[in-house]
This record gives sequence, C-alpha cells and structure tokens, in this order.
Amino acid sequence: METRREFPLPDTSWEPIREFWAGAAANELRIPRCASCGRLCWYPRERCRQCDGEGFAWEAMSGRGTLFSWVVVTHPFLPQFGDLTPFAPALVALEEDPSVRLATRMVECDLDALEFEMPVRVEFRPLIFTDVEGEVTAPLFVPA
Amino acid sequence: MSATDLDWGWAHDYENISGEVAICGVGESDHSKASGRTTSDIVGQAVERALEDAGLEPTDVDGLMYIPMAEQMDVAAFHEYFGTSHDMWESKGGGGMTHGAAAPYAASQALRDGQASVILNTFGVAWATQRSQMTGGPGESHAQELFKQNLEIPMGWFPQPVYFATVARRHMFEFSTTQQQLGSIAVAQRRNANHTPAAVMHEKTLTMEQYLAAPTIVAPFRKEDCCLISDGGGAYLMTSAERAKDMRQQVVEVAGVGLGNSHTGTHWAQQSPFTSTPQVFAAPVAFDMAGITHADVDLYTCYDPFTIHTLMQLEDSGFCKKGEGGAFVEGDCLHFDSGKLPTNTHGGLLSHAYVLGIAHVVEVVRQLRGQAAAQVPDAEIGIYGGYTGPQAATLILRKAR
Repeated sequence: METRREFPLPDTSWEPIREFWAGAAANELRIPRCASCGRLCWYPRERCRQCDGEGFAWEAMSGRGTLFSWVVVTHPFLPQFGDLTPFAPALVALEEDPSVRLATRMVECDLDALEFEMPVRVEFRPLIFTDVEGEVTAPLFVPA
Repeated sequence: MSATDLDWGWAHDYENISGEVAICGVGESDHSKASGRTTSDIVGQAVERALEDAGLEPTDVDGLMYIPMAEQMDVAAFHEYFGTSHDMWESKGGGGMTHGAAAPYAASQALRDGQASVILNTFGVAWATQRSQMTGGPGESHAQELFKQNLEIPMGWFPQPVYFATVARRHMFEFSTTQQQLGSIAVAQRRNANHTPAAVMHEKTLTMEQYLAAPTIVAPFRKEDCCLISDGGGAYLMTSAERAKDMRQQVVEVAGVGLGNSHTGTHWAQQSPFTSTPQVFAAPVAFDMAGITHADVDLYTCYDPFTIHTLMQLEDSGFCKKGEGGAFVEGDCLHFDSGKLPTNTHGGLLSHAYVLGIAHVVEVVRQLRGQAAAQVPDAEIGIYGGYTGPQAATLILRKAR
C-alpha cells in the first residue's frame, strides 16, 4: 500500500499512531489505555509514563470533552492552511481523563463565541489542504 | 506548590560550582535581518570579537562547546576558520537556548578535570537569510518531530506562535492576565532595544497604543508578541575564576547554575501545568548554589521567543508568585534604567535579535562589567534564564570583587 503522504497530512501508517488514524477513519476517537494501571497514555509511548507498564489497548472514547484552550489563526503560517484561514486550533480535555489533551481544531461554529471549559464533542471531518492531494479523516470538534 | 504539582519534571543533580568558572570574553556578530551571510561567517565574527575582548589568541582556546545543528562551529570548523590545528576538548552541550545557561556547568567539570583551560561556547543562525530562501527557520526543526508531524501539524496546531498563543490564552484564563500586560513586555523590551545600538530594532519605537492597535496574527498574539527572525550569533569564553584574575576584563563569575526538565518534552499539550516552564525546577538550584535571594538580582534576562515566556519565567523563577506575572511586568518594571527588575536590557529575542539566547549571556556579562549600552546602574548580579521548552536553565552571574 502506498503510504507516503503530502505534508501536512499525517502519515497514518506510522506505527505509534496508526490506530488513532484507523479509528478516525471508522469515526472513532481511539486512545491507548495502559493494561497495568488502567490510565490513558497520550501521546503513545513504549512504556506507560505513570506506571512504566508495557501493554496498551486502544479504546474508543466517548468523543466528549471540554475546551482547554484555543487560538484563532488569522495569518496562515503554512500556505497549505491558506484556504482554512481563519481557523481555531484547539486543545480538548477528554471526558474520560481531562489530563489527556487532544490537539484538534474547532469547526462549524462561531470562533468568537468559544469559551474556556465549554463542552465540546467530536465530529469526524476530512482534512483538506490548499494545493495538497488527498485527504484524511480526523477527529475535529464542535460545541456540544 | 504541592509535591504532586511537581511530578511533571525534575531538576538535574548539580554539584556546587559557585565561584569556580569565570566568563572572560564575550562577543557578538553584527545582528540583522536577511543579510546573505552564512552561519559560519556569523559565528566566526562573534568568536573573533570574543577573543579580542578577552585578549586571547585562537591557539589559547583548548575547549569548544556547540550544539550539533547545521553549520555550528565544531573543532574542525574552528581550525578551518582560524588556520589552527591544536588539540581541543569538545562538547556538544553548548550553544544558545537552555544550553547557553547550562554550558558553564559542563565547562566547570572539564576545567576541574584539566581537560581544557579556556573553553569557548558559540551559537549563530542565518535564519533570516535562510527563511527568505525557504531553506530553514525555527518551524523546520519542530516539523521533523514525528508526533508533531502526525498529531499536531495536521490539525493546524503549529508552528511555535500557534502553540504558545494557546499557552498565553490559557494563562489569561487561569490568572486573568491581560493583553496590556503582555504588551508591557513587548513595549519595555523595545524601549531597552532603542537604547542598544546593536539591536535590530534599535531605530523602531513601540508604544502601548501601537501594540494594541496592531491586528492579531494568532489571537491573542500580535506580531510584537513574537520574536524576530534574524541573522546573528554570539560567543563567550570560560576559564577558571583564578586564571581570569590575570586577564584583561573585570572578572564575571558563575555564581549559580541549575537545569530542569519536563517529562512531556516538546509535547506541550500534555504538560500538566500548561502555563509553567521547567524554570520551576532549575531556578531554585541556581539560587541555592549562588546563596542569593531574588532581592539581590540587579538584572534578569531570559529566552523570550514570545512575550508569554518572559512572564512565565519571571513567575517560575520566583520573582513573583505563579499567576502574578501580569501585574509584575506592568509599567516600567522591566526598563533598564528605572525598572524594579531590568529585564532583557538589550531588547531580548523580541527586539534585539533572535539569536537564541547566546546574546543574552553576552549582555549580562557586559552589564556586570559596566560596559552595556543600556546600562543598569551598579549591576553586580545578573541572570540568564535559558529555555527550550522541554528544558530550562538558570545561570546566575556575579561581578567578582
């Protein structure tokens, strides 16, 4: 299978996060849970940061969380984001464990109406970039 | 802060080296916007000036510290530039950023062990030239990190202005920090640069009104919250405090140094105290080693890629409580001449030059010698807070009596 992708699309075949992107393609937000201590471990690591355990099971999350912080980009730093501008990269704290913060983007909402700690939920949408071939489904968020 | 709150990082175990090492020579290249110069030329110019400042010859330098980034001066490059061929001790733990503050610790070990007697630390960039040619810049190194590449960049959480604006906004939420307080930092550093002829922004003034009137580029950041992109570099020479007494310049000694790390590395999204820096771990080590209190500090400099970094490092280094940085920096607090804590007296990365902190150390040394352009009266103790994100270091320098 051809796995090379064009920047800034993710390499969905890269082993440590393959399950994350496979989940997104199946409209599931999957995060690894440590088999030893039972805590979510994000970003994926070879050994659990909390307990040093080695086994992980990827688990589907509810897709609910709260808005931890965000910004509104009005100047695209990368030309590939030109057609998206203005856009709101955000960190979402997951309902299952708020210490896990997902880097994502707030979409389909009034960017001026975003508020700290507001409830949000996942929506799976294709990442499409200016002058970049291909697309990848990603977990983006909307106000809940 | 409770013990649990400190689970997110650690301090390196440093022996007390207070008073052992002196910085005996400093130099900086010309700093500029895109100049067409190469990194090698820039670093070479800074080193020539540091040698002249110290009254040393290239053959006197028997130790070299640098960071293994493109075109930095390693031993082979040193010999090629100066036409020398002598043996040199070499360390890749040098350069700017955190390393500009921590390098004197590694140097102290080499001096103790007799591996070297005069150690040079250098750093330089030609990022302004390279960016104009689309060949390099600060975003590029971060884009190589695979988790960023595959989990952050696709979402648009990239590059540095985006993630640190996210930090700044969270700081505003947690501690009611205001846009004007961030602006106070940008305005104060510009004023310091206006008194520093070598600063890239020497001629360009900035008022609070101008700052607030500017559009945001990544809200809450305006352009003036973000560092310059520059061509430039610096160098400093270290030797034993004993030997420095017989040299040309007023002796400036390393009073204290500390180094701290976060467990989450460059993955800031996962750092539990999102609005803190590892200065929380580094600064207490350096202050203890130096045996000083915050009231003893005459000037502070820190790695300041964005306004929020000065605010956070002032808090995390203990100059005010966590969350009170906004109120602390208001008014003339950071001004070189009238400030309560003159900070980034040459203008910092925001208004002097984005040479990643090496020029901050040069500035502190000049201040303590009484040779700075924007001179703090009677400065005896000065600090450089180095930072790279996953790491921070505090270097306390003292004018020797």
